[in-house]
Amino acid sequence: MVRSGEGPLKPPRSASSRRLVLASKVRSVIPVRLSALSEAFFVAAGSLRANKLRTALTLMGIVVGVSAVIAVVTIIKGLDQTVAQTFSSQGSTVFTVSKNPQIIRSREEFVKFNKRKDVTRDDAEAIARLCTSCWRVGIAGNAVETVKYADQKSDQVRIRGVEPTTMFAIDGVNIDVGRIWTEGEAESGRDICVIGADLLQNVFGGAPADRALGEEIRIAGRPYKIIGVLEPLGSIFGFSRDNVVYTPYATYQKSYGSRRSLVVFVQVPTADRLEIAEDQVRTIMRSRRGKTFGEQEDEGFSLETQDVFLNLYSSATSNIYIVTIGVAAISLVVGGIVVMNIMLVSVTERTKEIGIRKAMGARRKDILTQFLIEAVTVTAIGGALGVVTGFGLAYIISALIGFPLLISAASAILGVGVSSVVGIISGLWPAWRAARLDPIEALRAE
Amino acid sequence: MSDLTYAPSVTEKIFQAESADLRPDPTALISMRNIWKTYQMGTEEVHALHGVSFDVHKGEYIAIIGPSGSGKSTLMNLIGCLDTASQGDYWLNGKNVSEMDDDELARIRNQEVGFVFQTFNLLARATALHNVELPLIYGGISSSQRHEMAKKALSAVDLSDRVMHRPNELSGGQRQRVAIARALVNHPSILLADEPTGALDTHTSMEIMDLFERLHDEGNTIIVVTHEHDIAARAHRILSIRDGLIEKDEKTK
Repeated sequence: MVRSGEGPLKPPRSASSRRLVLASKVRSVIPVRLSALSEAFFVAAGSLRANKLRTALTLMGIVVGVSAVIAVVTIIKGLDQTVAQTFSSQGSTVFTVSKNPQIIRSREEFVKFNKRKDVTRDDAEAIARLCTSCWRVGIAGNAVETVKYADQKSDQVRIRGVEPTTMFAIDGVNIDVGRIWTEGEAESGRDICVIGADLLQNVFGGAPADRALGEEIRIAGRPYKIIGVLEPLGSIFGFSRDNVVYTPYATYQKSYGSRRSLVVFVQVPTADRLEIAEDQVRTIMRSRRGKTFGEQEDEGFSLETQDVFLNLYSSATSNIYIVTIGVAAISLVVGGIVVMNIMLVSVTERTKEIGIRKAMGARRKDILTQFLIEAVTVTAIGGALGVVTGFGLAYIISALIGFPLLISAASAILGVGVSSVVGIISGLWPAWRAARLDPIEALRAE
Repeated sequence: MSDLTYAPSVTEKIFQAESADLRPDPTALISMRNIWKTYQMGTEEVHALHGVSFDVHKGEYIAIIGPSGSGKSTLMNLIGCLDTASQGDYWLNGKNVSEMDDDELARIRNQEVGFVFQTFNLLARATALHNVELPLIYGGISSSQRHEMAKKALSAVDLSDRVMHRPNELSGGQRQRVAIARALVNHPSILLADEPTGALDTHTSMEIMDLFERLHDEGNTIIVVTHEHDIAARAHRILSIRDGLIEKDEKTK
């Protein structure tokens, strides 16, 4: 029979027939028969096996998307962890008092902080004397210089003049070879130093640590005798924490004078004492700067824990992360479009099969389920492969950059889960098209 | 004037006759009453069936014959519940099928109708066994029971040795026998065959028709749609369709 695009006329349904429909709706509450469900899996597996190239292409689309997301998430987590560990290596038991905060956000702030009085040795002594909750108090002056030894030199070395020697403990560094200076040496401002592990590499050509002991390096033209070498701390983002020279504060002062503002380091015995200690130090410093509580004007000093770095880091990077993950997720969307495309082709190709199944008694939801399962099977397998390749990518990148690889089950489950959802979304329309095919038209298809 | 007063009673009589005619035969397996099928072709309405009525009783062997365009394919689709009528009522095994929705029709096709097609319509990638299992799958029958029923159906059409073969490993006659096993596996009320020998050579055609005869002898109700008179002649009753109407309904055996 010739048929047009428009459907056949149907008589209006009577009330009794509507009741009949209702009864059947109640019966079909059981979503899909188990036998039809296992058939759907069987058919999906068969169809995926039969069209290997097509399956491979579909898989690829999902694998690329999921692995991109997994790699990005894994790398970000690794970076976060590294940063958190690095900045908290001094522990949450250390805070600093300084003229300028570690982060200056604007020119106005810069101008404001420059008007402050320098933080001096007297301030440190007052804190050490008056703060009962403080455990260790030390001072540090910082500079950046080029270090020379014979014809070797190393640029951008941090010079740290510290007092007393407990600053080594506050900084969380340990002597590997040699010794720390004595109190006498420190007071007399002898030209001695303790060097970081990087200098062994950079100016001693990788010689063993004990070879460097007793040697003289030149910093800003002045000779310093090496009395100790520090254990390496490692690097973060390619920025080494071992490219440092420690000298007694008095020695530092000979080169840099006492005009430079210094930083007071305070350590409390346990983290729960931090707040009390901070309050005490704040009170001491305010009275020394002639400030009272409740004033709106600048208090004249900056009291900071290492958390400021973490806070800055997370505020600066969180948006970047969201954008990066978003960009990676776009490839997953593209993968979903690939799946939809392939599923549409598959439905068109198998119109006859759909007709046969409908003639044999498959209901709309049986057909719908069959194609949905096919789409979800492909995307779930793609998701699993994507998780593996994503972790692989993250592994390679983390090995190259140098940070720990954090493989979490959560992101693996998320990867497979998200790709399955992509499968459902992109499979829904093709499956729905298949389900509402007219059995007669479908049987006529070649 | 007297003529005019008499006229309504004639109409009344006709109406009564029609409404009596519209009642289904409760003893019949298939009872079609005043079935119309209308297609919309652009602005024009085309009637494929113009009020067809007939009954089929259990155990009958019927051929529906007619030239192409006569409406016999439309009628077959309606009998097989692949489509619904535009107008009229169709009772199949006591159920009024004409007002069912898609899913209910699917259920009727699954339970009441066994299809045999001209081009076999087997799933190419599935084995003979799996093809025969198909109606049982959508009937929600457990896998072990399915295997057993499907094997039994295959042995009933003498294909016990071809259970794990795929359609492309079978001859045309064997494929059609797989299709017949599939049609019968669910013990449907009717076996509905559309040009079952149309794709087969004469010798194989005769084998298939012999098989139909045997199935009829075993008590199955068979409806064969064909345009070939010698195939129709094997049936015990022939319905001739022309221009959307039953032209002749004759018992031949």
